[in-house]
Amino acid sequence: MSEFKELIKSFSKSREYVRDFFIYGFKTRDEFQGWSPRTYDNERRRLESWLSAYVRQDYTPKGKNIYLSIDSNLLDTNPLYRVWKAKSFTDNDIMLHFYLLDYLLGSEGESVEEITDGILAAYDVLFEPQMVRRKCNEYVKNGMLAGIRQGKKRLYRLNPSFRDMLSSYPGLGNALKLYQLSSPLGILGNTIMENVSLTNDVFRIKHHFFAHTLEDEILLSLLDAIHQKRTVFLQIKSTHSKQTVKVNCVPLKIFSGTRTGRRFLCFYFPEKKRFSCARMDAIKEVDLGEIYPDYQTALDNLEKNKTKAWGVSFQNSGHTHTEHVKLTLYVREDSESFILQRLKREGKGGTVRRIAPDTFVYETTVFDANEMLPWIRTFTGRIVSLETDNKRLAALFQKDFYAMHRLYFKE
Amino acid sequence: MSELFSEVYNCYFQVIKSLIETQKYISKQELTYRIQKSGFEESLLTLLPKLTEKGWGFYENNKTMFCSKLSTDFYVPLTNLQKSYLKAILMDDKIALFLDDDELTAINAALGDVTPLYRPEDFYYYDRFADGDDYQNPMYKKHFRMIQNAIERHQYLDIAYESRFGHRVHHYYLPCRLEYSMKNDCFRLLAVNRNVRRSQRVEILNLSRIREITKSSETAAQIPNINQLLRRSYYKEPVRILIKDRRNALERAMLQFANYEKSTRKIDDNTYECLIYYNKKTETELLIEILSFGPMIKVVGNDAFVRLIKERLSRQAKFLNYSEKTKGEQDNINS
Repeated sequence: MSEFKELIKSFSKSREYVRDFFIYGFKTRDEFQGWSPRTYDNERRRLESWLSAYVRQDYTPKGKNIYLSIDSNLLDTNPLYRVWKAKSFTDNDIMLHFYLLDYLLGSEGESVEEITDGILAAYDVLFEPQMVRRKCNEYVKNGMLAGIRQGKKRLYRLNPSFRDMLSSYPGLGNALKLYQLSSPLGILGNTIMENVSLTNDVFRIKHHFFAHTLEDEILLSLLDAIHQKRTVFLQIKSTHSKQTVKVNCVPLKIFSGTRTGRRFLCFYFPEKKRFSCARMDAIKEVDLGEIYPDYQTALDNLEKNKTKAWGVSFQNSGHTHTEHVKLTLYVREDSESFILQRLKREGKGGTVRRIAPDTFVYETTVFDANEMLPWIRTFTGRIVSLETDNKRLAALFQKDFYAMHRLYFKE
Repeated sequence: MSELFSEVYNCYFQVIKSLIETQKYISKQELTYRIQKSGFEESLLTLLPKLTEKGWGFYENNKTMFCSKLSTDFYVPLTNLQKSYLKAILMDDKIALFLDDDELTAINAALGDVTPLYRPEDFYYYDRFADGDDYQNPMYKKHFRMIQNAIERHQYLDIAYESRFGHRVHHYYLPCRLEYSMKNDCFRLLAVNRNVRRSQRVEILNLSRIREITKSSETAAQIPNINQLLRRSYYKEPVRILIKDRRNALERAMLQFANYEKSTRKIDDNTYECLIYYNKKTETELLIEILSFGPMIKVVGNDAFVRLIKERLSRQAKFLNYSEKTKGEQDNINS
């Protein structure tokens, strides 16, 4: 039996586990499908090790139920960032990291041979010059060291400390305290704060979905493709059917839902000449393809079209290009102006007009009116009528309401 | 571009960096404490022997203390990925709250020729509210910075505020935190009122409604435990909901309510029970979020919340001329 280790080589398996614990906080050991009991035990132990402060457990008739309890309003940082800090390493990796960076402090630049000898003299530790060279080149590539050519020799020196920049611009430190929570790829902001031992004692975040960080590696590849205007080959595993499909498309933008917690890649299908979206948490792999020559045209068309998409759907199941929705609401003018405000700020450019005392009409035209149903339901209690050329939507709204009414008044 | 899942961001590396940059000599007891405080739950098992016995050799055993071989000036330069991230956040509109244009230009230049990791236009928040705060407004910026300073210095502020109904009030507040809402794209101040000392509670002020701030010389010894105050504000009884796993409702609900402190368990094959903790301030928001799921979610507790749902349904039934008596008729229409 192999020894348990709290560090891991690859992120992808743990990503699925953390997501399952965080999003579906109710699965017992037997309900984790596709994993052996040993795998489950190891992954669970790792999760408890990384996120011990947030792991809770309940006992149910079906067994122990472990879940992550994370209330984002109460936290100074995203606890799931810790998952990114669990990459395994070798003894040589960590030793070279500290000895090399410490040895180069204040140095104007030294060759691999000088560094190897210097480390031996200063710390009494001997490394193979080849190993030192590999680490130096790796750190030049990732930006931590500068490589300088001097005649035939290549010299290495440390790049400046971020602490110096921070003392010149203290506002940047405060900005990091906010952005590590609120921005895409905030994990990087968090590592920069750790780099200079900063902690966030100023900001809190609301309506943010911490689980998004689990997709950050995928996001990085997609952003890379977007900036290079390339096509991508995506491996998408349906969250529904669990089937994996391969898609070749042109990635254009990341669509993010601040209410639903869903994040999508919006892309263009050149063969079908249409836009579509894929859930970010369903994308398992990204491979970059060719440069797409009409990238800018596709992006410009998306800009024009996205105003007509209520959410992430660019087509409906009917025969019309767009669908019209007319929502008549009862709003007491003397005391409920906040409802009108809601319509304006949440209604995505739809018009609002008063048609009678305490009665207002909200109208809009969208590609797929089905996407509006959850939002329309938030006005339950004041919907005088819903008129739309999407017959399915009108019927579903009514049917669901009756079902809901029965839930509370009949059962 | 360098990797995100890389050992240079590893927790062990951070723990050691923090140890060596803060002190040259350290006892085994303190090493243990520091590793337990900043490492993972089981890091101590690996890290302590590697640091104190024959391992990585960063420390020399000096009888009672361990002496670091490395300099306290030790630092780790930023990676290109980190610099690229910094360039990206410098493009965000909220950065104006922290840095002036001259500072932005200087920082951009100092970061060299790395390209921004992303641009604001790479992201589209399709359901974000349209009336977000104006971060370029000079008065807003001034208030933001005053509050930020006051939080750091535990300083009371005299704040003149315009309520939702247009009334202007002013109070002495101890600012505790600035809260940013992704959905509303706005900042709110979480503060405690100086005059309410007995049953202290968190008050929430929208930054865009603050009309004037005057500094006060009064400071507090420390900021109150904001989490304790917020938790204390939760109702004793959480909302208890039953989720029917149809139309992907379970997954949608778990994601949408991921923001709340909650616990979920399976009741039967396709029904799940979820307890969600909330307070007066989040009640309406939670109510409409639950309503948005339609019949996929049934609220079964607490009684007050069930009443709120029933009130809305009764009102809606009147608009649709619906009652359980007409149910048979409606069923015929639907079938």
